[in-house]
Amino acid sequence: VDLRIDAEGRARLERVRALGREQIRPLGLEADRLGRPVPPDHPYFELLLKLGLGRTRWRGGDAGKRRGGEPAGGLIGSRAALLLAEEQAYWDRGVATATPGPGLGEPPLLSMGSEEQKRRFLGPFLEPDRPRWASFAMTEPGAGSDVAAIRTRCVRDGDAWVLDGEKSFAANASRADWIVVWATVDPAQGRAGHRAFVVERGTPGLGDFKIERKMGLKAYESTSFTLRSCRVPAGNLLGGEGHYESRSGFKGAMKSFNATRPTIAAMAVGIGRAALDESLAFAREHALLGDPRVRDRLERSLRRLRAARLLCLRAAWLADLERPNMVEASMSKAVAPAVALEAASLGMEVLGAVGGRGDHLIEKLYRDVKAMDIVEGTGQIQRIVMARQLLGMPRD
Amino acid sequence: MIDFDVGEELELVARTAREFARAQLLSHAREAEAARGVAAGVAARFAETGFAELELPEAQGGAGQGALARALVNEELAAGDPGAALALDPLGPAAPVLAELGGEAALREFALPLLAQPGARAVLVRAADGSFCAEAGRLSGGVAWVPADRVDLLVVLASEQAWLVREGVCLAPLRGAGLRAAGASELRLEGAPLLASLGGPAAATRALGRARLHAASLLVGVLRAAADTAREYALGRVAFGRPIAHHQALAFLLVDMHAAVDSARLLLHEAAWRVDAGAPFEVQAAAAFVEAIEASTFVGPSAVQVLGGHGFMQDHLVEKHMREARALGLLFGGVDAAREDAGRALAACAPPLPLLEGEL
Repeated sequence: VDLRIDAEGRARLERVRALGREQIRPLGLEADRLGRPVPPDHPYFELLLKLGLGRTRWRGGDAGKRRGGEPAGGLIGSRAALLLAEEQAYWDRGVATATPGPGLGEPPLLSMGSEEQKRRFLGPFLEPDRPRWASFAMTEPGAGSDVAAIRTRCVRDGDAWVLDGEKSFAANASRADWIVVWATVDPAQGRAGHRAFVVERGTPGLGDFKIERKMGLKAYESTSFTLRSCRVPAGNLLGGEGHYESRSGFKGAMKSFNATRPTIAAMAVGIGRAALDESLAFAREHALLGDPRVRDRLERSLRRLRAARLLCLRAAWLADLERPNMVEASMSKAVAPAVALEAASLGMEVLGAVGGRGDHLIEKLYRDVKAMDIVEGTGQIQRIVMARQLLGMPRD
Repeated sequence: MIDFDVGEELELVARTAREFARAQLLSHAREAEAARGVAAGVAARFAETGFAELELPEAQGGAGQGALARALVNEELAAGDPGAALALDPLGPAAPVLAELGGEAALREFALPLLAQPGARAVLVRAADGSFCAEAGRLSGGVAWVPADRVDLLVVLASEQAWLVREGVCLAPLRGAGLRAAGASELRLEGAPLLASLGGPAAATRALGRARLHAASLLVGVLRAAADTAREYALGRVAFGRPIAHHQALAFLLVDMHAAVDSARLLLHEAAWRVDAGAPFEVQAAAAFVEAIEASTFVGPSAVQVLGGHGFMQDHLVEKHMREARALGLLFGGVDAAREDAGRALAACAPPLPLLEGEL
């Protein structure tokens, strides 16, 4: 057992802290006040590119090897990435999610895409000429946790596929170069009917982008859109047709979820830490720390957040060792958001009526953090995943 | 960089403890409870394991292992029978406490003699304010319950120092809420001769932290046993046409119990790792104890709930787990004192708070 963060990791965290103080937190507060996402042409995103962020994890295949290695910023392990994500979320999780890059579109490209598709779609993210985003769209108005219930149809027509349907709550979709869109050849087939397409910006039939109004996390766009007779070249079917002959298509999506669960959970820990720090600062400033009821609230938040963080790190450590982490990943995601929400909620109690004013960070954190128990599999879905693993609970 | 592997050596130690607990403790748990002690044969086998000397320096015939090793062994033994784990270990939490307070000299002088006496027990109690009074080389005071029927060495841990007493300890047997395999007594001292007074405030705080880790590790073992027993029962018991574990209400309860045990264990291991790494650990130890106790209030009763009416009957062990987890959380000042210590330490910090210290 060794729970030290190495010198390189600490240096990375320090850089995020500086960026967080100077840029991320103020931008998040501004977006919350204005009630709209940070616009794509904001200079902050250019700054991120200069710092080497906003790029793909993909090494660039043979071309990458010829260039002598990894993209700027380096390829870092899950533990280090998780700690960075947590620190970004500490400052503002909404701004963190607005960070340019292939985002959630990247894992399915990496796990399912052909080399040609990776080159074509991730290539521009190797050394981006400007801030670029990609997006991922599974959720629909009538299909959230039950992903098998998606209704967006795809029909083969000559050298293309024609997509029809509606997608909901896709991060950064209206500003994305491309969106990984999940559709079905036949809803009756459930997961076996699923296909994943890279739908590029400007494709006729892709439209009606609607940036949703949210309770929190306002700094990034959660966008709904429609596909109407949207013709997507056959070459944009992820992995090609052969990929879907077994049931591996759906498992591709599940694998991408599983890899990100501890990281999303760690973001919740980051928000919870921010709430704890706000509560502690307020309690110090207002001489409340002599009250054991206040101390007990803070103690509980700190202790539960530390435990949640260890759950996240354990899952990421297993991922780095390429050991099965299904239970541990889901456990971190089931526990951390609830713990973080409690930290924010107890923080509201510590601040009392000041929390009720609506102009204090603690109140924003209380709104922001709720999403973490919903995105990337709700707490209930995580418990189902755990129950399947630990209890052999059948799917039906 | 962030590694949760305990290593091959400790894996082996833990496996040995697990096998001993399964073979010797679990199957005799009800007998030991009724007899208020473990059978002589079990004690003899325990002596062969060397677990009693786990943390003693190699120069004193020990294994020279640290707090993490103790945490792993305690979890395994307590998963078999926490009362027996207390009864079998002549030194128990007194070993690390004596080491913190008086170093190797204290271990040699006060701990080693106990290892030569079959069935000997060192008992550690935390002196709440005003509960003990030392005057002119004599100690008076008492505690309402200790999980012991004999005391060969009493360590009374106060905030400024620890008092050691060997003679004049009066015990009145009690029924005990749990941990009866270790005995149960009210303890009183009426001017008992002080054997020694050790340490200072800083050492006493560290010693209390070690004692809390000892109790927390026993708690984690009991809670794991409760969660595992509930799981196994729920997989075998059929109601409404399927194993009750596959009804979502119980499935969610069972996985939450599992998560509560893992959370408590991770905080315990973090604190134990800090002890072994020579880092400050007192606050983390207090938090680990609080977490284990809070988990016990959820996991213990939930395990009984999963078994329903059977859980309430003494044919199954979950009712014992529920009682004994509660009892373990009352030791060494219990949850309030630990929460108070952790809360005061937090109140002394200025934000931002680090959750994991990058540098020790």
